[in-house]
Amino acid sequence: MVPAEWYLLLAAAVFCIGLIGILTRRNALLFLMSVELMLNAANINFVAFSYQWGNVTGQTFGLFTMALAAAEVAIGIGIILVLYRNFDDIDVTKATTMRW
Amino acid sequence: MLLQSQLPNSLALAPVLVLALTALLLLVVDSIDPDSTNSAALAGISVVGALTSLGFAGWFLSAGTGQVSTGGGISLYGEALVVDGMALFFMAIFASVTAMVAIGSYDYLRGKPHQAEFYTLVMFAATGMGLMAAANSLATAFVALELASLPSYALVAFLKKNRGSVEAGLKYFLIGAVSSAVFVFGISLVYAATGSMVFSDVAEALNGTEFVGVAGLGVLMIAGGFAFKTASVPFHFWAPEAYEGAPAPISAFLSSASKAAGFAVAFRVFTEAFALSAIPAGIDWVLLFQILAVVTMTLGNFAAATQENVKRMLAYSSIGHAGYALIGLAALSAGSAQNGNVMGASMAHLLVYGFMNTGAFLFIALTEHWDIGRRFEDFNGLGSQAPVACAAMTVFMFSLAGLPPFGGFFSKYFLFAGAIGAGFWWLAAVGAVNSALSLFYYSRVVKAIWIEDPSGEFQITSKPIGLYAAVMIAALGTLVLLPGFGPVIEMAQTAATALFA
Repeated sequence: MVPAEWYLLLAAAVFCIGLIGILTRRNALLFLMSVELMLNAANINFVAFSYQWGNVTGQTFGLFTMALAAAEVAIGIGIILVLYRNFDDIDVTKATTMRW
Repeated sequence: MLLQSQLPNSLALAPVLVLALTALLLLVVDSIDPDSTNSAALAGISVVGALTSLGFAGWFLSAGTGQVSTGGGISLYGEALVVDGMALFFMAIFASVTAMVAIGSYDYLRGKPHQAEFYTLVMFAATGMGLMAAANSLATAFVALELASLPSYALVAFLKKNRGSVEAGLKYFLIGAVSSAVFVFGISLVYAATGSMVFSDVAEALNGTEFVGVAGLGVLMIAGGFAFKTASVPFHFWAPEAYEGAPAPISAFLSSASKAAGFAVAFRVFTEAFALSAIPAGIDWVLLFQILAVVTMTLGNFAAATQENVKRMLAYSSIGHAGYALIGLAALSAGSAQNGNVMGASMAHLLVYGFMNTGAFLFIALTEHWDIGRRFEDFNGLGSQAPVACAAMTVFMFSLAGLPPFGGFFSKYFLFAGAIGAGFWWLAAVGAVNSALSLFYYSRVVKAIWIEDPSGEFQITSKPIGLYAAVMIAALGTLVLLPGFGPVIEMAQTAATALFA
């Protein structure tokens, strides 16, 4: 069996990749994908430690997270769509009617 | 006693259930008559729903449901939710703010499409907030937080042809998505360290845990998630944009109810799951909240003082008030008898804030309805044109600043007194200095309204009944809390003390 620490490391690495993606990408869709990576990093932890602790709380919560991530993307795409209609671009740094 | 002995326990959630049913009813109305512009009916249904929810919350609070006098909190669905004094207190706040926002939206939305969707989203967000106050497990806390957040993103971007509104929605959504990812990763780390999600089990597992590092990082990230919801440093920077760009009733809704919801769930998580008596000594979250409270107060107030735009000033002042409310978490110490008093005072402040801040933003909605600009100068001489609304705005401003005869004074007084009583005099001192500074920018609005001469002609042709009524109700709420403050603070402190028992 793979020791639990390795799962923590993998999750942390995926989380950091997502975080770096958020900080460097300007395209709103890539931004969404980066958030998705961060959420799935949490899912890795949930599933791995669910096995480790011998209860299904974590696995169940992993399903919750996936459903909520899908809902979040649905709202996000909607907002990105109106962003494109108003600003003709999905670059998140272009929308600056107010100060950022 | 009556409720607990004769009715099913799940009815204790009635204030939340009513909000959810109202949202579903609005969806049904919308599907029967999709292009309806009958805003009176839609707003009416929302207001009746919110008031029914408020009625249930008030009834349960006075009947003692879930409170210490009748045997403590009622836990539901395998301890996933708990209804106690604190949950009901916050549900009352959410219901009153929702009612005022729904009344105010009636005029604000006149002639705009998709009104049914607007009210539905408001009701669903309010449902999520009510569940946040009742969440007793990290899983329900996360789901409830998302239920409150997702409709809010859509509501901020509701004016889809208005660039400011879309931009505000985008920024709110982007930061919200990141912070909820941080929040859920924090939950996963706490689960990794403890193997449980229910607050009491987490506290038990944390007591003497060997995974202090993992748990500590998890606690820090969960605190970050709450910082977003309450618009405190370091996840505060969405707030000025979102509040400025959003439709004004939604700014009112987010800055009052949504912020209170963030505090409701934070209070419960940090007192029940990460209880000071059980947490390993290495995880010092009180210190974290002390830093956040001081930085949030100072940053919010200083930034507000430099604004030229009234709506943006209110947005920053709302960050400052998050800092005051954070004292409820920052002035705690393990086993102190004062803990309940400080947290209760913070809850009472959020109630008063719910009225005065909602009122202030609804006044902005009123000026937007009249097409008056957003800068301080644009308000010059407004007092002679609309004296009643301006008198109410004056009440809100002085109450937000914490001047003696208004509700905001009492809540701040109890908050600072509680912090001093708990031995954190310096937190109270920072708060008092910030309050003094805040008087500067709040009084600018009052000065512009009453003293300055008008710079141009106002085109005040209409008298929007709904917005006027909502502003008046908020003003009345701020004023009624003067004589009524004794029972309120007592109820809040009893409810908070029960958390530490």
